Amino acid sequence: MSDILFHLFSLLTVACALGVVLNKNAVASALCLLVCLTGIAGLFVLLDAFLLAVLTVFVYAGAVVALFLFIIMLLDMQGGDRKPFTKASIVAGAASVGLLCTGLYTFIVRGHIDSPALSDTPAHGSSLRAYAELLFTTYLLPVQIVGFLLLIAMLGVIVISKKFEGLEDIK
Amino acid sequence: MTIEQLKAAAADNLWAAIAPEIMIGLLALALLVAELVLPKKRHGIIPLISLSGLLGVFLGLLMNFRPLDLGGTTFNGLLRHTEGSQFLRVYFVLCALLVTVLGIIALKKQKMPKTEFFSIVLVITAALMLLGQAHNFILLFVALETVTVGFYILVSYTRTNPLSLEAGLKYLILGALSSALLLFGIVLLYGVAGNPAAYASSTNPMDFDALRVFLAHNPDNFLASVGIVLVLSGIAFKIGAVPFQIWVPDVYQGAPTPVTAFLAVASKAAGFALLMILAGVFSSYSGLVITVLSIMAGATILFGNFAALTQHNVKRLIGLSGVSHAGYLMLGVIAALTPGVGSQAIGAVFFYLAAYLLASFAVFGVMTHLAGSNDSDQELDHYQDLVKTHPFLAGVLAIGLGSLAGIPPLAGFMGKLFIFMVAFKAELYWLLAIAVVGVVVSIYYYFGWIKAAFFAHWRPPLPADSVADARPVRAAVSLPFGVLLGTLATASIVLGFYQGPLGAWLLGR
Repeated sequence: MSDILFHLFSLLTVACALGVVLNKNAVASALCLLVCLTGIAGLFVLLDAFLLAVLTVFVYAGAVVALFLFIIMLLDMQGGDRKPFTKASIVAGAASVGLLCTGLYTFIVRGHIDSPALSDTPAHGSSLRAYAELLFTTYLLPVQIVGFLLLIAMLGVIVISKKFEGLEDIK
Repeated sequence: MTIEQLKAAAADNLWAAIAPEIMIGLLALALLVAELVLPKKRHGIIPLISLSGLLGVFLGLLMNFRPLDLGGTTFNGLLRHTEGSQFLRVYFVLCALLVTVLGIIALKKQKMPKTEFFSIVLVITAALMLLGQAHNFILLFVALETVTVGFYILVSYTRTNPLSLEAGLKYLILGALSSALLLFGIVLLYGVAGNPAAYASSTNPMDFDALRVFLAHNPDNFLASVGIVLVLSGIAFKIGAVPFQIWVPDVYQGAPTPVTAFLAVASKAAGFALLMILAGVFSSYSGLVITVLSIMAGATILFGNFAALTQHNVKRLIGLSGVSHAGYLMLGVIAALTPGVGSQAIGAVFFYLAAYLLASFAVFGVMTHLAGSNDSDQELDHYQDLVKTHPFLAGVLAIGLGSLAGIPPLAGFMGKLFIFMVAFKAELYWLLAIAVVGVVVSIYYYFGWIKAAFFAHWRPPLPADSVADARPVRAAVSLPFGVLLGTLATASIVLGFYQGPLGAWLLGR
């Protein structure tokens, strides 16, 4: 059962990820991203990582993609005409595809991991309690740093986007 | 976890161990509060609050250079305090001090909000200081992202200038790419080292000690090698090493000059601090790490120097010369991986960074003072006749550039000499040959700049109806700034003759 679900969700994720890149319409791309993230959340559920699954749906599918859609609609993005490929970009593209395929092939051939049976591995990440305990004890310092990160991100948005009037008298 | 385990974990969060970082973070908040409560005409003192606070932390760090917990880990292994990390803390606070001074001068020429600049500089500094003590990938990534997000804002700070916005966008996209590479590498390492089926696996593979033990027991794991290369690539972006140098010229040109200085000195030093920490963690894969870094170092030295030859914009020139400096520093890191040369090579890298800081801020100080209202437009031509109008600035510029070029007896020469000596001990003959070629090439463009400032050259007569002179107006140097520039230049000279306790401590370890 879970095998079928795994293949279903993976197929959904990969197909929608391709849709994000290949779609000419920005709104359709954003919606593909939404479905792609839902597929990833489904994969997390299959791994018993319920918390991650819920957070993925809430944060990414809910907040971030909604934000993307708002911005796309605010800017009124049209697909626009793509520039035709130049010779140099075709050569560079082909070379990078070749390198990527070589890399993937090497990964498949040599990147082997002995994995224990899934049932033997306790799912530490599934409980909100275990997660919160770590955040408030061991990883308290990174949480505080992230607080400062968000603060300067907010400052940056204000500085870069706000219209400043009457700055001459400060000068 | 049981209550006792939780209590033990909470008790290991020794906040007193990171008191300097906390003070700088609070100072950043205090500046924002000061802007709210002070009347508008008193806002001029906000940067001075920042300066005095930083000066206090700087002196405090120097007086307590060897705290009791030196050598140990705190915060459940997230941080490790060593003499090297103490040096980096002092280094980053000094950078922040100088950047704040340059920021006061540069922002006077712009109609932009001021307080946020100083506040963001402080937050970045605190994150950089934590980065120098990182002993866990989670802390490393969070601190690195704080630094990077801060730089996204600072680079595009003068948003009325299209070049600054373009630089910000480029830095944002390439910074995101480099973070993705770094994260992918971290995840691969976490995955292989945390796999319960693997030999000598760890339950906490984000920890550097646990990871080092795992890597030592599995010296030929393919996925771990891929992870290591990806992590190194992510850091190579930050230090601007070839082939990840593509953002350097545009971002250095578009960013406000104080931010360029901050990027060139502090961000690069942080990258090298991480490289040296991780070189220790990856020591059982040193063959792979040395190969990757050697190729990067050779390409970096050659690319940086040859690309800088053709530049006319001084910010691009100093950016590309900074790329080549990253190459010389990588030589030191590679030597540090060789058994027997290790700690001395780390000392040589630190000494080079110190000399680079003094010389760079002397040059950037002169650049900031001479820049017009358009900060991106600083051409070599603008330095014409500098020695006649401002002999003092010309002298500081010559000493700074001479030190960057590595002219004896300045500090930059000693820095290069120490790096080359440890590289010679580590038998990196090919890289040494490339580095020597690079140094010789670099003299050409550094002296081109000095020539522009010192020697008059013929200019075509201007057409009658054109604006007489496109150069920015040159103001007189204020006394405190003059004293600061003079101190930087003097320190560059003195450190070249006499390395004193600093040199003895760095190289005698």
